Amino acid sequence: MSRALQWREDLAGYLFMLPSLIFFVGFVIIPMFICIFTSLTATNMHDAAMFGQFIGLENFIKLFQDKVFQKGLLNTFIIVIVSVPTVCAFSLWVGSAIYKLNNVALSAFRCIFYLPVVTGSVAVTVVWRWMYDNYTGILNTALKGVGLIEQNINWLGDPKTALGCIIVILFTTSVGQPIVLYVSALGNVDTTLIEAAEVDGATDMQVFWKVKWPQMMPTTLYILVITTINSFQCFALIQLLTQGGPSHATDTVMYYIYYTAFKLTEQAGHFGYANAMGVVLAIFIGIMSAIQFRLAKEK
Amino acid sequence: MKMKKIIAAALAMAMALSLVACGNGNKDNGSQSKAPSSGSQGQNQGGDQSNPPSSSGASGITLWTYPIGDWKDENAVKALTDAFTAETGISVKVEYLDYTAGDDRVNTAITAEGTPDLIMEGPERLVANWGANGHMVDLKDMFDDTDLAEINAVNEGIMKACTYSNGAIYEYPLVMTAHCMAINKNAFEEAGALQYVDLENHTWTTENFIKAVEALYSKYNATVGAVFCAGQGGDQGTRALVNNLYGGTFTNAEHTQYLWNDPNNIKALEQLKSMKGIAFDPSLDGGKEITAFYQGILKMAFCWNIAQQLDPNSAKTGAEKTISGEDIVFMSFPSETGESQLCGGIWGFGIFDNGDQARIDASKQFIKFMCDSAHTVDAVKTANYFAVRTTAEGTDLSNIWADNPIMAEYTKLMPYLGDYYQVTTGWAAARTEWWNMLQEVGTGSDVATVLAAHEAAANAAAAG
Repeated sequence: MSRALQWREDLAGYLFMLPSLIFFVGFVIIPMFICIFTSLTATNMHDAAMFGQFIGLENFIKLFQDKVFQKGLLNTFIIVIVSVPTVCAFSLWVGSAIYKLNNVALSAFRCIFYLPVVTGSVAVTVVWRWMYDNYTGILNTALKGVGLIEQNINWLGDPKTALGCIIVILFTTSVGQPIVLYVSALGNVDTTLIEAAEVDGATDMQVFWKVKWPQMMPTTLYILVITTINSFQCFALIQLLTQGGPSHATDTVMYYIYYTAFKLTEQAGHFGYANAMGVVLAIFIGIMSAIQFRLAKEK
Repeated sequence: MKMKKIIAAALAMAMALSLVACGNGNKDNGSQSKAPSSGSQGQNQGGDQSNPPSSSGASGITLWTYPIGDWKDENAVKALTDAFTAETGISVKVEYLDYTAGDDRVNTAITAEGTPDLIMEGPERLVANWGANGHMVDLKDMFDDTDLAEINAVNEGIMKACTYSNGAIYEYPLVMTAHCMAINKNAFEEAGALQYVDLENHTWTTENFIKAVEALYSKYNATVGAVFCAGQGGDQGTRALVNNLYGGTFTNAEHTQYLWNDPNNIKALEQLKSMKGIAFDPSLDGGKEITAFYQGILKMAFCWNIAQQLDPNSAKTGAEKTISGEDIVFMSFPSETGESQLCGGIWGFGIFDNGDQARIDASKQFIKFMCDSAHTVDAVKTANYFAVRTTAEGTDLSNIWADNPIMAEYTKLMPYLGDYYQVTTGWAAARTEWWNMLQEVGTGSDVATVLAAHEAAANAAAAG
């Protein structure tokens, strides 16, 4: 191919990419740099200028002395540590159980598990709120009905149960996509390798872990990274259900960023402080993702 | 190949054009707001050739309103704005905010320099927050001695609440009310607790409140009243309950410092915490408490006012009735003497300083039309509250509710209207500290310790 023709081909490709690139640069790359720079300033809502006074690393030092941020960080890690393995394990289990079913049954299961993913967060939380309701919730009614509890439990109003309730909802909205991906990955496993292993006398467990599992590793890695990021960024459920309460029991870093940026508008430098939290959160997500990539690569 | 190039170029052009369109999407007639318009129930009568020409030079203005009585009802508001447009030729685009996300929308608009021309709310936002931070227009030139006399004749605290410490007036008041609480009369009757309330004057003492809750709990063996603390919604109810029970304070008289850490407030919170029928509930805010009361689950509501009495839970199922038809009686908060200090609500209009004098003048025309003209009667009645002035350009406002026995009965509470302390500096942060404090009291923390800690945090926020 001549250089002129190659150039024309490249140009066409770049032109196709250009619209997406404009949006990516405008709404991801540039805001990212603005966020990093603002985290080093005392910017607030009432400033006429985009950037406030430069204060270096003061916001970051203040962050790690802020007890609410520490509580939010701890809650965020609890959500990640509990939800990522359970989502992956449950999805793998369901995927393994249903991928050999006939097309109609398989499609039905995929629809059922994917439904909470495509349902809006607001609708999901409204239904869960009814279920968790302190006075008329179905959960309390059912548990009282079977004699497991005597007094109603204030599921979202008790610091002992509130975070667990959030994790349960997050779990139901997170498993849909991994199940679909695992069903697809299991369907693509090389059957000749499975048959060869079975001829050699491998048990079902050995076939799964020695033959299927390595072939599903790229899918697992993708699921781990996506679930980790989603768990770190848990916000809508908190905002709609508990607003970080009771007594900061459900505060997460994402919610605290929103709260600081848009509720503490009278606090000096609140935008800069919220951006500093965003930078810290991005660093943690980056570290976790890198660890997952490294572990998967070693496997 | 040629076709491929044409398609690529066309796609790129389309995307570039859409970007340009995004950047200029709000320069339409009657609106300079850059806030997202999707889902808005805006109405814009701009461009109507039959309208008289505007004397201010602006052809349209934008109004954002919080849900103040029926100022949340598009049809009711449209009747008012249509009348304004017919008289002045200025179109009004209205967007409706709620108390859950409204502040976020306004704050985002301030940051993006896309605020509306007018906003309808109370002094805690218009004066103490947006006004104090330099976003509002001083409306002092709209008041002459007659206006001030007409307003002061109703209550001298009104103009004080609408005026910032530097003397600037950031809110032109339209309506007011006293926030109160409510009881389920049928439930009280069944529990034998009706003897503890003065139904004639709608008052009761702290001692009788405690006895009533005990009687209700004995009857129903469940929570009968909730100190709700999920968020700031309706928090004036919990403040009034705690402050009145033993005469505690919230701020100093100058509104410069928060003073909740008062032995009387500690006593009140400890009393409430010890009562079996009262729960500190972090899963409820004011709105959800009203719903639980309306459904008959709770037997008393601490978040109530005349708008709720006229239309409980905004459900349009009949005035003064729960969902199952039980009677609702509004009550003053209990206090040792029976005479309490009620939190007030004063709602009116403020103008955002967008730097366009023609739009500011048009907005002032709108305020004058709604708050001080023959049309004020309609504006006040739409809000379902009481007028803040005796007359408006000769129209008597003192008897506009004479035909409504519920409103007439509710005027018995108006003398109990207390200090309007919501204009204290750092209000947004302080009210957050308040409900966080209630959550901690509810989880068993030491009352005196958490009260002191959150008062200190509120004062730190006030100090900036």
